[in-house]
Amino acid sequence: MTARRDPWLLRGPGALGGVSLALGEQVGGLVVLFARIIARLLPPRIDRYELVRNLHRMGVKSLPIVVVTALFVGAIMVIQAAPLVTRFNAREIVGWGAGFATLREVGPLLIALMFSGRVGANNTAELGTMTVTSQIDALRALAIDPIAYLVLPRVISMIVMLFVLTVIGDIVAIGGAIVAAKALLDVDPRSFLNSLFVLLNEWDLLTGLIKSLLFGAMIALTSCHFGLSVKGGAPGVGKAVNAAVVAAASGIFILDYFSSFILG
Amino acid sequence: MSALATTGEAVLDVVRDVKDILTMARRTVRVVLRGRVERKAVVEQMHEIGNRSVFFITVTMGFIGMILVFQSALQALRIVPDLTILGSTYGEILIRDIGASIGGMMLATRVGAGIAAEIGSMVVTEQVDALRMCSADPVEYLVAPRFVASVIMTFCLLIWACFVAYITGMLTAHMVFDVNYQTFANFMLVDRGDVIIGLTKCLAYGAAIPIVSAQRGLATFGGSEGVGAATTSAVVSSSLAVIVLQFIISAIGYLIFPG
Repeated sequence: MTARRDPWLLRGPGALGGVSLALGEQVGGLVVLFARIIARLLPPRIDRYELVRNLHRMGVKSLPIVVVTALFVGAIMVIQAAPLVTRFNAREIVGWGAGFATLREVGPLLIALMFSGRVGANNTAELGTMTVTSQIDALRALAIDPIAYLVLPRVISMIVMLFVLTVIGDIVAIGGAIVAAKALLDVDPRSFLNSLFVLLNEWDLLTGLIKSLLFGAMIALTSCHFGLSVKGGAPGVGKAVNAAVVAAASGIFILDYFSSFILG
Repeated sequence: MSALATTGEAVLDVVRDVKDILTMARRTVRVVLRGRVERKAVVEQMHEIGNRSVFFITVTMGFIGMILVFQSALQALRIVPDLTILGSTYGEILIRDIGASIGGMMLATRVGAGIAAEIGSMVVTEQVDALRMCSADPVEYLVAPRFVASVIMTFCLLIWACFVAYITGMLTAHMVFDVNYQTFANFMLVDRGDVIIGLTKCLAYGAAIPIVSAQRGLATFGGSEGVGAATTSAVVSSSLAVIVLQFIISAIGYLIFPG
């Protein structure tokens, strides 16, 4: 049966309605999944072995990529601040200039994006493959709750591990910034750290870390949701991975915007 | 000894990957220079890579513009009480780096995942082997059109990304910090060097993303799980490629145009 073509006048509104419905379906799915996860947390029923396995797989194995990203991010922030501080002849505050942006904003954001690319995409692919090969249904048939057994350990691991990786990444990024400042602007590491400690307050550091918790939750929700709702065999898994990565990135930016305003 | 072996293995892996990617780049460029790229495939890919990313890029860069201006205004207010230089500084840093680089990361995610998933599922369903059987070069048929399309469309998209981020930044500055539009829209600090560095980045990211992710896609093995792994690794590698290129171009750019 061929689809009936709409008259040209209705094509625009029709497409708009289609897009809105699709968006509503995904957002609704995310909210339902979130509610289910919360329901499983009271009282907590988590598979301990799965949790440890996921913590290792998602956290420890992402360490190299996070370290490399953070190192470059720190160096890049100094390079970008360099023309500004030389123009105002204020080389001493380059540490604060680069550190503020890195710790508060760019560090958590870029580390979350890399984490989403590596762990989120992988998680969607794994859950998606399990869905299309009916392994999720098999779990249900054995009276094992897929949310408690599969989803909850992953969600917890992602939130915890992104937080820990952001802490490590922040430290490494400051290291990269110190090296770049010494090489490019000839700023002494001691004066770099001095300006950072004097001008930066705890709240700046905390803002970045709170953001990383929110980003972790966003990546976990989107990747599990898109993985569990895969349709249409192996090509469907590829599409779901793509959609999950895009949704996670958009979600991270939207959360970043609101948290920047609320946390001030 | 085992720590040494682990490190060595990781280093060897990285060297091997970089070598593979450079080989792929060389072969793609050779095909493109000979002009053996199917025009219809290029147009199709331009639609897939370009038009279908516009919405995504507009949303993410719109938010980035608001966030950046908000954060840098907070930072500036701690040292100087007025925000008259906010607009000109923001314009310079956006054109020089942030616009192209954050946009490039976003495109690496969307476009990279798309290319790797598509080519990867062609590999596991043996369609790429079928191409080879017909003595058709996969690089010529699959990689080159995506390369040309991505270079053109990424260039356009990243310029659009800068524009969107600038506009939303200007609106934020006006609404939250009461900076008027005439004060904000000041391109006094933007010079030739900034524009050259920014455009170089746009071109470099457009070229790097399809090559890295196509290499990952063609290296897929092991069924549908392999496609998932290839997609993941394409997103990570092309994002890393963007960050490394950003570092290299920024550093060289700073040495050539310090100002």
